[in-house]
Amino acid sequence: MRKLSLGLLGASFALTMMAPALAEDTDVTIVLSEELDLIDPCMASQSNIGRVVLQNISETMTELDGSGGGLKPRLAESWEPVDSDTWRFKLRQGVKFSDGTSFGAEDVAHSLKRVVAEELVCEIGAKYFGGSTITTEIIDEHTIEITSDPAQPIMPLQLSGLTIVPSETLMEYTREPIGTGPYQLSEWNVGQNVILTRRDDYWGETPAVTKATYVFRSDDAVRAAMVATGEADFAPKISELDATNPATDFAYPNSETVYLRLDTMIAPLNDIRVRQALNLAIDREAFIGTIIPAEAILATAIVPPSTIGWNADLAVPAFDLDKARALLAEAKADGVPVDAEITLIGRTSNFANVTEVMEALLAMYQDAGFNMKLEMYEVAEWLDFYSQPFAEDRGPQIIEAMHDNAKGDPVFSMYFKYASEGLQSALRDSKVDQMIADATAATGDERTKIWSDLFAYLQDEIAADVQLFHMVGFSRVAERLDFTPTIATNSEIQLSQIGFK
Amino acid sequence: MRHFIGKRAFASGLSLIGLVVLVFFLSRLTGDPTALFLPLDASLDSRERFRELHGLNDPLLVQFAHYVWDILNLDFGDSIRKARPALEVVLAAFQWTLILALTTIFFVTTSAIIIGSLAAFYAGGIFDRVATFLSLIGASAPDFWIAIVAIVLFSVNLGWLPTSGTGTIWHWIMPVAVLFIRPFGLVLQVVRGSMMTALSSAYVKTARAKGVRVRPIIFVHALRNALLPVITVIGDLSAGMLNGAVVVETIFGFPGVGKLMIDSILQRDFTVVLAAIMVSAMAIFLMNLLIDIAYSVLDPRIRY
Repeated sequence: MRKLSLGLLGASFALTMMAPALAEDTDVTIVLSEELDLIDPCMASQSNIGRVVLQNISETMTELDGSGGGLKPRLAESWEPVDSDTWRFKLRQGVKFSDGTSFGAEDVAHSLKRVVAEELVCEIGAKYFGGSTITTEIIDEHTIEITSDPAQPIMPLQLSGLTIVPSETLMEYTREPIGTGPYQLSEWNVGQNVILTRRDDYWGETPAVTKATYVFRSDDAVRAAMVATGEADFAPKISELDATNPATDFAYPNSETVYLRLDTMIAPLNDIRVRQALNLAIDREAFIGTIIPAEAILATAIVPPSTIGWNADLAVPAFDLDKARALLAEAKADGVPVDAEITLIGRTSNFANVTEVMEALLAMYQDAGFNMKLEMYEVAEWLDFYSQPFAEDRGPQIIEAMHDNAKGDPVFSMYFKYASEGLQSALRDSKVDQMIADATAATGDERTKIWSDLFAYLQDEIAADVQLFHMVGFSRVAERLDFTPTIATNSEIQLSQIGFK
Repeated sequence: MRHFIGKRAFASGLSLIGLVVLVFFLSRLTGDPTALFLPLDASLDSRERFRELHGLNDPLLVQFAHYVWDILNLDFGDSIRKARPALEVVLAAFQWTLILALTTIFFVTTSAIIIGSLAAFYAGGIFDRVATFLSLIGASAPDFWIAIVAIVLFSVNLGWLPTSGTGTIWHWIMPVAVLFIRPFGLVLQVVRGSMMTALSSAYVKTARAKGVRVRPIIFVHALRNALLPVITVIGDLSAGMLNGAVVVETIFGFPGVGKLMIDSILQRDFTVVLAAIMVSAMAIFLMNLLIDIAYSVLDPRIRY
């Protein structure tokens, strides 16, 4: 009898271990490439965290429509400027956090304070509010005024990156995020999965997805295979090589732009003819469809075409080897040390085929007559070359970088990359500094025009850098889902936008 | 024996101290974790604040003194990236590695000993040739290739097994099988070689002449004497597995200590790297001790 009992117990355990949990038709499984280290809303600008947290658990005051619909209200119903540096936001009423508390102005003030708090380093604070002093004044329970020093005319857009947490949230990283979003964190099995379940008391429309399970696989082929076998419903990032099924695989603009930053402070890169030659010496078209995906677009600016001020009149520099050689000869005749060895610096694993792209660029430059060598570095070492302070004794350097701007406004890029004080700028041009300051302070059409003029000035008049490609990502979506990835998929996956066929 | 264990513990403790000092200073040479934790366009202020918060601005010797003091108080520090105790992070991952390693070693040992012994007994026959051929293929095949091919074949094409993960017993079949193949080939060859020597010994010939049956000759008389080199090889393989099976963990999404260690090195999460090394070193020390004890059990001539 005892043996029989043990046998039955063993059999039932084995069956439990062997049987996968039954899932409902409206449950989805999403396979991400990186596991979450943290699940704090203030870190949601990291893509792997944002894809779980943003607009699912935690919502923002405003929301940038990834399909080109501009800035939309989310937790803020409306906003208006009070003066040049202060904005007033009217908050949505009747919104509750997943812990049952009500959402109000106190929570917005606390969230802003928390992302820049000294006790914890939040990526959202560093990314969107670094260098600004933000103060708040609560007018009433559902009205708040936010002041930025220096003035920030795109405050409503900046707030599309701020995740709102309850005012009780401690000034330390939380492992149990509370938000106003349509989902709440129900399980976090470290190393295995994160599970979100739909809230019944969400203020907005009830989404179709009832439960989302996020699993983590670092291998591209495995993520693609998981969707193919039905183990997962969506893999936001797969390799181009695996994107072979037109029914499930999508290319989408991922808001990343690859460019070469030229150190305009060091000869011979301080000569405009040399910089123009660098632009003319490469056959950008040759990369497309070969070692860069066919869906990628040749770039004329550091921001993707969906960004305001993107200048459609700019032409991609033509591949003209003779002209490049002539410009170099002209510079040499004027005493520019064009024979000086230039170091082309690439970042390993920055994107698929980055090494091959860098080697091809090197060959093209050497063909044009440049004395150049290639060095590849992993991210931390590469950042020493890319970010200020630069080494005093450095030689002429060209740095390959990939920049992400999914926020729709160049302000998130231009100061850092082109202003004289910008952290990753190797350009010192007072006209550029002024245009960035003017555009940052301007609104509406004027803002758009200044950005547009700046892009033209950077490319056509001073050849500030070598723009290469607006990149694309590849994703696999199960046929049962009604969902198309957009430029926003690089940073968030809103479960409420997923339907079923 | 107690004296021997004490001596071994003392020697291992010294090695561990040396290892910690070495890894502490070498890991700091790899760079600053600030660059990897914060976004590229984070301001210099934010970077400075991060360094201050995590004591990265202190002189290296001060950082080391803090670290040693914390370890003496059994505090391995917090993971910079995961914001929780490094030891907790490592132990959570280590339990997966331990189960994976022990399961694999169990299957490798039993199957290699049985098949290797029979192959030695029937040396030159069909069974021996097939076993040798397959084991050499297994010992030569790269893990990542076997893993990807297995997923394509058994998950995508045949639909028999899940591609990856840890949810059910079915999820464990491919990772264990992939991890099994190479050590199996190696151990089988060692068992076969060692058994051929043992089977040609005078005492085996005597046993055969006395009419002892085949099974006792192989598995009682010869095997015990042939096992010493086998245990050495298995111990070496086990040590490797306890450090994590990075390829298998990466491809099959196993949250083990090997992948954790590689990720932590790449992300400069120093406390986790050091905690992982300490835990792995302790595990290897214990395993070596077990192997030494196994020697003395198998060969009464060995005395400590």
